[in-house]
Amino acid sequence: MIMNNWFKSTLFLKIILLLSLFVILVIGGLTFRHISNLTSSTEVVVKTYKVNLELEQIISYLRDAESGYRNYIVTKDTFYIESYLNAHKKVNNSFLNLRNLIKVNSEQQENLKILNKLTDSLFSSFAESKVFVKNDETNTETFKTLFFKEKVIIDSIRRQSMVMFQLENKLLNERQKEFQSDLKFTPLFFYVVLLIMLLLIIIAYTKISNDLKNIKAKNDQLLIFKESTNQSEIIGKHGNWVWHIDSDKYVYSDNLYRLLGEEPQSFEATFDNFLKFVHPDDVDKFAEELDKMIDEEELPFTNYRIIQKNGSIKYLKAFAKSFYGDDGQKILLGNTSDVTDEIENILTLEEQNLELEQNNKELSAFNYAASHDLQEPLRKILTFISRLEEKESDKFSDTGQQYLEHIKAAASRMRLLIDDLLQFSRTNKPDKEFVNADLNELFENAKQDLTEIISEKKAQIKIATLPKATVIDFQIQQLFLNLLSNSLKYSKEETAPIIKIYYSKVEADKEPSLYKAPQSHYHKITFTDNGIGFDQKYAKKIFDLFNRLHNKQDYSGTGIGLSICKKIIQNHKGFIFANGEINVGSVFTIYLPVN
Amino acid sequence: MQKDYIYIILADDDEDDILFFTDAFDELKINTKVNSFKDGEELMNYLNKDNALMPNVLFLDLNMPKKTGIECLAEIKASQKMSDIAIAIYSTSASDDDIEKTFVLGANIYIKKPSDFKKLKKVLSEVVAINWQYHTNALNKDNFLLRL
Repeated sequence: MIMNNWFKSTLFLKIILLLSLFVILVIGGLTFRHISNLTSSTEVVVKTYKVNLELEQIISYLRDAESGYRNYIVTKDTFYIESYLNAHKKVNNSFLNLRNLIKVNSEQQENLKILNKLTDSLFSSFAESKVFVKNDETNTETFKTLFFKEKVIIDSIRRQSMVMFQLENKLLNERQKEFQSDLKFTPLFFYVVLLIMLLLIIIAYTKISNDLKNIKAKNDQLLIFKESTNQSEIIGKHGNWVWHIDSDKYVYSDNLYRLLGEEPQSFEATFDNFLKFVHPDDVDKFAEELDKMIDEEELPFTNYRIIQKNGSIKYLKAFAKSFYGDDGQKILLGNTSDVTDEIENILTLEEQNLELEQNNKELSAFNYAASHDLQEPLRKILTFISRLEEKESDKFSDTGQQYLEHIKAAASRMRLLIDDLLQFSRTNKPDKEFVNADLNELFENAKQDLTEIISEKKAQIKIATLPKATVIDFQIQQLFLNLLSNSLKYSKEETAPIIKIYYSKVEADKEPSLYKAPQSHYHKITFTDNGIGFDQKYAKKIFDLFNRLHNKQDYSGTGIGLSICKKIIQNHKGFIFANGEINVGSVFTIYLPVN
Repeated sequence: MQKDYIYIILADDDEDDILFFTDAFDELKINTKVNSFKDGEELMNYLNKDNALMPNVLFLDLNMPKKTGIECLAEIKASQKMSDIAIAIYSTSASDDDIEKTFVLGANIYIKKPSDFKKLKKVLSEVVAINWQYHTNALNKDNFLLRL
């Protein structure tokens, strides 16, 4: 847009300049023509006067010749013949002059020829009559005729010269008129042309001053922009650089120098000078990446280290883009930022993460080993108890029998706890492999594990068709198992358990409980039972580890099963909710993300 | 060599377990002969002897000193003369890792030591009665772990 305006403005100024040049040329041409017209007019006037003068001279010479001739006739003195002959010479001279003056005018030339003939015939007549005078035959008839003829010729000469004189005057008048009209329009013309010039100059001036104003405003903006760029470079810890590839010239911004720990523009911006700062281990990589930037228009960020003069190492990240300037030169425009803080933060975070992971692993390993190693002595205790019961029970007193029962119950419970803990620590293990599994199959497997208790409690299990899903299969099976066994465990004493499982695929937007869900669609599986239920206020607490709502004499739970469920669901980035009503039953709803 | 009894070897470092094991066979009234070794090295020394009598079933505990059950299993399966022995892994734990490893190495069945003597007797009688030829052909990861 700006470019366009600028272009328009230069074009406009160019047009004005051309117009002005044209006007000046026109004025010059016209002035030249006028002056040369004026000169030629003057010349014409002078010429006319010369012509008239010559004509008058011819007449006067003729008169001299005539009077000389007459004097000779009267006196017969030859002295008069001299003046007559002189006059003849002068007339001829004047003719020559006249011929030169009227070269361009054919009409006058014709007239001159006639005049010439007349004078020639006059002089030949004079010569003829001279003979008569010499012989003293002036009274003869022939001489008288000759004399009369001479008078006629002289009259004719006078008339002819008059004609020429008039014609010349007429021409002079015409030229003067023409010249007058030219002269009359010249000042007006100059005035108009000057006005146009003035107008053009004014237009050009306003245009130029406007442009200058615009340029100044743009310059001010540029200054502000430059200053804000400087500020942002300092605050954002980045600097930019330009590399004119063809001429191998570099320009570094002030802050790029600061990033290197140097004063702005304190050394010449060259590749070699910059390379001095690059960490020795990164030099090769840095040069290689820069080469790549020349060829490829866009490249991912390059990371490298530099060593400042004070020895501190900084991490820099550079990005460059190549393009062609107006003059067709290839330019690489780059931006380099100091990411030392980021990198250090990341490193600290990574360290902490590693530590945490290590801790977690250790904890998990400890949990696993503890549970696992605890199993062995416990198993032996239980086996010995079973041996005691089998072989030695009749040797115990009633109290002893009772004690044995209590030992057995406690050991069994411990075994249950260890099993569950083992299970819980297994769900924490990191090697979880997601596979596409048929949930119906996983449910059947879980049900299989509970065959005994199902038939014992005469439980009815009604299940909808479940979908296939990408899950950690053994964990989902464990989830089903835990939910089923939970419902079976907390059933009412007198009522056969009825467990119903519903399935639907839902949109997260339409489930109020999923308002925080990141996925759009979920598999919703609901387990409902007619068991003892629970108070809704414990709905969240029941998923906590070792949390039990009932005493262990009545119900055998360890408080781990539902925690495992929660863990498994978390591993799948799903949700689990519990709803309960005392003596009516519980509803467990799980949401698994689709894909 | 002809024999009219089932020859069973147990390799287990736990004396109590050996006691339960032999007691169980005693009570089972099957014609068996049980030989036990206290660690993997002892077991392999015996099996590597030229005239050693190969067992019909070898019960192998995993966690043993000197040479673990896994090491023994790998050695046995690598040896031509022993590779036909039916091997029952007999371990306290039944971790997925252990099950996977022993299955891949070629064990025939995985038994988790029961915590009830009656159950132990049941398990052992079942294992001894297995037709190994048939069992091995139909063996897969799902029926590898003996469930009761």
